[in-house]
Amino acid sequence: EDAAEESNVSAELLALRKRLVDEWNAWRAQVKREARGQKEEEATEEIS
Amino acid sequence: MRPILLQGHERSLTQIKYNREGDLLFSCSKDVLINVWFSTNGERLGTYDGHNGTVWTIDVDFESRFLISGSADNTMKLWNVQTGKCLFTWEFPTAVKRVAFSENGDQVVCVTEQRMGHQGAIRIFDIDRSSDGTNQSTEAVNVFHPIGSKATVVTFAHKPSLILTGHESGKIALFSAETGEEVETNQKAHMETITDLQLSPDRSYFITSSKDKTARLHETATLRVLKTYATETPLNSAAIAPLRPYVLLGGGQEAMNVTTTSARQGKFETRFWHKIFEEEVGRVRGHFGPINTLAVHPSGKSYASGGEDGFVRVHHFDDSYFKTRPYGEFEPDP
Repeated sequence: EDAAEESNVSAELLALRKRLVDEWNAWRAQVKREARGQKEEEATEEIS
Repeated sequence: MRPILLQGHERSLTQIKYNREGDLLFSCSKDVLINVWFSTNGERLGTYDGHNGTVWTIDVDFESRFLISGSADNTMKLWNVQTGKCLFTWEFPTAVKRVAFSENGDQVVCVTEQRMGHQGAIRIFDIDRSSDGTNQSTEAVNVFHPIGSKATVVTFAHKPSLILTGHESGKIALFSAETGEEVETNQKAHMETITDLQLSPDRSYFITSSKDKTARLHETATLRVLKTYATETPLNSAAIAPLRPYVLLGGGQEAMNVTTTSARQGKFETRFWHKIFEEEVGRVRGHFGPINTLAVHPSGKSYASGGEDGFVRVHHFDDSYFKTRPYGEFEPDP
């Protein structure tokens, strides 16, 4: 029973860690997209 | 991971900084000296001699050409990194607590202390890089006085038009470099004085340390808190490690009634926390007093700590640091 509980907890913990990493990676991807957009905007401004 | 001990300061360290390549490590101290060391072997390359008070802060530009320093002698100095010569001195009514170069080295921002009828000020100076560096203007391109809590740390934000500050009250803020207007603020970023602020390589996020015993990761554009690392000791410094998903925290309280059991190794520790999971993953002992300043090599291969004990310790990470996956295959993006 204890072993079952333990594996339950670790399954929860694993799910949490997966969610935290997914959230972080999604945010990093968004930051990088925005940074690229900004650079393109600046380049357009310089041309015009 | 046998550390290299840099012995060249007689009093406590105030700030340490790697240059962009990471081959050089700069250190400043209450003993009024600034030193530069080869980070690989700890050999002292030279000294920048000229301040008459505690040197609180240093920064080196992107091409390791100029060094800027701020001191309790109420001056900020520009130095030639290679020759050690002081190129220019700016004078203020109060001590200079923090300096930082802009990314391309064409500007410097500094914080001067609030004291005896003088407001705390943030000043931005243009740096003339066209000649030998001696041709600087004494006039700031902008000066502003943050109202409310005084600023303790400052740097250029993700855009050179924005200045990022940390304050005595625990607040963080973004100011317009042109108008001095506060454009974004997080009043409750920390509960007590912010002691350090270090940006991620792309400047999109940063870490702060505080006397409130926590360090926090924030998004630069919004000042939103991303992560909190809660310890049981006041923190003086925090740094973000490249390559691995860790942050490094340093601090500690001088214990009053410690019985000396082993004097061989100091018990003050650099703490490693998982950047994403907010869990402590390890500690490195060594200093005999609180850790005042931390810096990670830009390649992520080593780190250095500067202590109240007057020592700088350089640690080169061994293979296990890079290979160990304490959390399995969860590998977040940098």
